[in-house]
Amino acid sequence: MTSRGKQSLQLARQLFQLSVVDGVLSTGRVEGVLAYLEAHPPADPLATLRAYHRLVAAELARGLAVVEHAGDVSEFTLQNVAAALSARYGRPIASVSRPDPALVAGLRVRVGDDVYESSIAGHLADLAASV
Amino acid sequence: MILAAAEAGDAPNGLVKIMQDFGINVPGILAQMLSFGIVVFILWKFAFKPVLATIGERQLKIDSGLKYAEAMKAKLEASQVEIEARTKEALVQGRQIVTDAQKAAKELAERLQKDAGEKAAAILAKAQEAIELERKKMLAEARGEITRLVVATAERVLAQQLSEPDRARYNESAARDLAQDVAAGKL
Repeated sequence: MTSRGKQSLQLARQLFQLSVVDGVLSTGRVEGVLAYLEAHPPADPLATLRAYHRLVAAELARGLAVVEHAGDVSEFTLQNVAAALSARYGRPIASVSRPDPALVAGLRVRVGDDVYESSIAGHLADLAASV
Repeated sequence: MILAAAEAGDAPNGLVKIMQDFGINVPGILAQMLSFGIVVFILWKFAFKPVLATIGERQLKIDSGLKYAEAMKAKLEASQVEIEARTKEALVQGRQIVTDAQKAAKELAERLQKDAGEKAAAILAKAQEAIELERKKMLAEARGEITRLVVATAERVLAQQLSEPDRARYNESAARDLAQDVAAGKL
């Protein structure tokens, strides 16, 4: 990475830290950071914005549980999953539903880089891998 | 003296008479003896002596040649003996060389045979190993293919056979298991 790229990444991290309030990403702070960057563009604004976007997206993903499922899933089930994950990570985590018929039946939950799966497709895949 | 006595007119004795009877002329005989001596001397001086000297030289040469021939014969015999000895020695050495060569050739042949055997065994072992690996690979591929077919078939069958209520119940159960596992720290 070039010296300029390092400076952009460092600036993006500083801006991201300013965007977090009490461990939670603040929408108002993010808007303020973007307005500041628009008014005072850094040396490499595109690289800085990309790095800032990656950090914000990763933070959002850390607070969001994507529940992939085959078949119907009730809102109550989604809330239970979100509550269990919030207790597990120690921060509020919301859940969103995303249908995936390839699972046949069951769930696959993604939180950031973590994946929790309990589906027929996953069990069959484990079975195939163990043979 | 006899002649002098005779010429002196003395009475002829018997000897003189005999000489007269046989016509012996003493001076003639003396002259002939002198001339004969001169001839003998000349012949001795200029004929016999050079011839004898020549004969002596030739005799010396002949003796020298004979001695040389004897020496050569002795040398030839010695050389013959030496040649025979060397021939025997060369024959022994040749036999030894042939024996050594045969021994070396035999050892080389045995070593080559042994090496060939080892190489053949190694090739055979490698071939068997390759066959075993290929067999295992084929079995693994067949197992994987069969597993894939079984899993695909199971997925297809389950996808067709499971009803929506079944899926919903399965999802509820999976959510409960997931929540319990998360709460228990298993995940």
